[in-house]
Amino acid sequence: MRRSTLARLEEMLERAIDGTFREEDYDESRLSRLETKWKKYLAMSQLAKRRAEKEQQMTKTLISDISHQTRTPIANILLYAELLQEKEKNPELTPIVENIKSQSEKLDFLIRSLMKASRLESELLLLHPDNQLIRPTLMAAIETVSKEALKKQIGIKLMAEDERACFDRKWTEEAISNLLDNAVKYSPCGSRIRVSVTEYEMFAAVHVQDQGIGIREEEQAQIFERFYRSRDVAGEKGVGIGLYLVREIAGKQGGYVKLKSVYGSGSVFSFYMLKNEMV
Amino acid sequence: MTVLETKGLKKYYGQSESLVKALDGVDLTVNQGEFVSIVGTSGSGKSTLLHMLGGLDYPTEGSVIVDGKDISGLKEDALAIFRRRKIGFVFQSYNLVPVLNVYENIVFPIQLDGNKVDVSYVDQIIKTLGLENKVNSLPSQLSGGQQQRVAIARALAAKPAIILADEPTGNLDSKTSQNVLGLLKVTSRKFEQTIVMITHNEEIAQMADRIIRIEDGKIVTGGSRA
Repeated sequence: MRRSTLARLEEMLERAIDGTFREEDYDESRLSRLETKWKKYLAMSQLAKRRAEKEQQMTKTLISDISHQTRTPIANILLYAELLQEKEKNPELTPIVENIKSQSEKLDFLIRSLMKASRLESELLLLHPDNQLIRPTLMAAIETVSKEALKKQIGIKLMAEDERACFDRKWTEEAISNLLDNAVKYSPCGSRIRVSVTEYEMFAAVHVQDQGIGIREEEQAQIFERFYRSRDVAGEKGVGIGLYLVREIAGKQGGYVKLKSVYGSGSVFSFYMLKNEMV
Repeated sequence: MTVLETKGLKKYYGQSESLVKALDGVDLTVNQGEFVSIVGTSGSGKSTLLHMLGGLDYPTEGSVIVDGKDISGLKEDALAIFRRRKIGFVFQSYNLVPVLNVYENIVFPIQLDGNKVDVSYVDQIIKTLGLENKVNSLPSQLSGGQQQRVAIARALAAKPAIILADEPTGNLDSKTSQNVLGLLKVTSRKFEQTIVMITHNEEIAQMADRIIRIEDGKIVTGGSRA
């Protein structure tokens, strides 16, 4: 009797873990009463979980709505600032107009990054990794920073052949562009950036190596967090969301990001992708 | 949610003049799902710490709390069962049973505890670790990297509260190490598995979400989440 009761209790727990618990029978026994209470408890904890999930979803939607709704007015402010710049010839006002313009551009950049982040976070947006060549995506990413690189006389060397991996083309280009954008921004004029690919048994990695300022050891884990900005780069524009996006994109397609950096003499960011499709 | 905590943990060896303070007041907390590395030179006390966390040795003073239970007062038999149920170990040597095939090795600890194997979960782990073509192979037919992946799969399969990894890539070349560590990182995220990894290698330590530094039996940085 006791043994079978214990067996039944263990089964009830196992079922609860699987999420398949049903009440067996209704009678006047204590076990039956316990089953009903157990069922009630499970239902209540599920309800609490669902409520928490719903609230989280609402917050995400709110952030996404706010960023979306603010885009149009910001675009208008930018437009009017440009008009003002063209028409206003009073030299006293020129720096003020300049400031309005640069601040609006900063805000525009921030809102756009926030939108990308919130789209990535909301489960609405899924990445679609396909098995493909890596090189074309790297070339496209390099193209997005070529103008800035040219301005600073920075040479970008691409070393990739016919390596393949499983990745979402659009978002991976975004991630690599972010890494390159940082490399260009934080490297001295006339330096070099190397983009290379290494293959491992199950991963393929894209390395972006610069000769920039490097990252302090104590900051190396923090820089991937949202809105984190190193005090070394306080003078540069940016909001601290680029590397966060890189990490999210890598994780969403089953990979990860790694950083190797020596303070004062450059960094290597490595973006790992699965070679075969994710399970 | 905190899954692992130590309070004033001390381990002394020897007496009076030959007294060695391997651990001298360690306080740390690890949250559910975190991937933490503990880094220190040899002799810093990191292996002693791992032995305390895994219930392989008794502390001189202080407590180790796993999943809300203080294990420092448990008797030897209870401690063995605790280890089987709550801790997954991944060592430098893979410790696979040579006469069992890969699949049998992975599910062995689950069966040892008299539990049913969650087949779909185990399948998912096997696929994530790229072992689906090796399930019928014997350990001797696998490369070092593959054997370590089996050890990781075995640790994950029992859904332990924590996986303790002691220099998991100590016997592997750097390229294979990167692959194994990458998988450890990816699986930690995917299965929300808490992992504590001990290493002397800075580059390997960088793979974790948080680095705890230990010197002369004391934590220098990273003891709790900032």
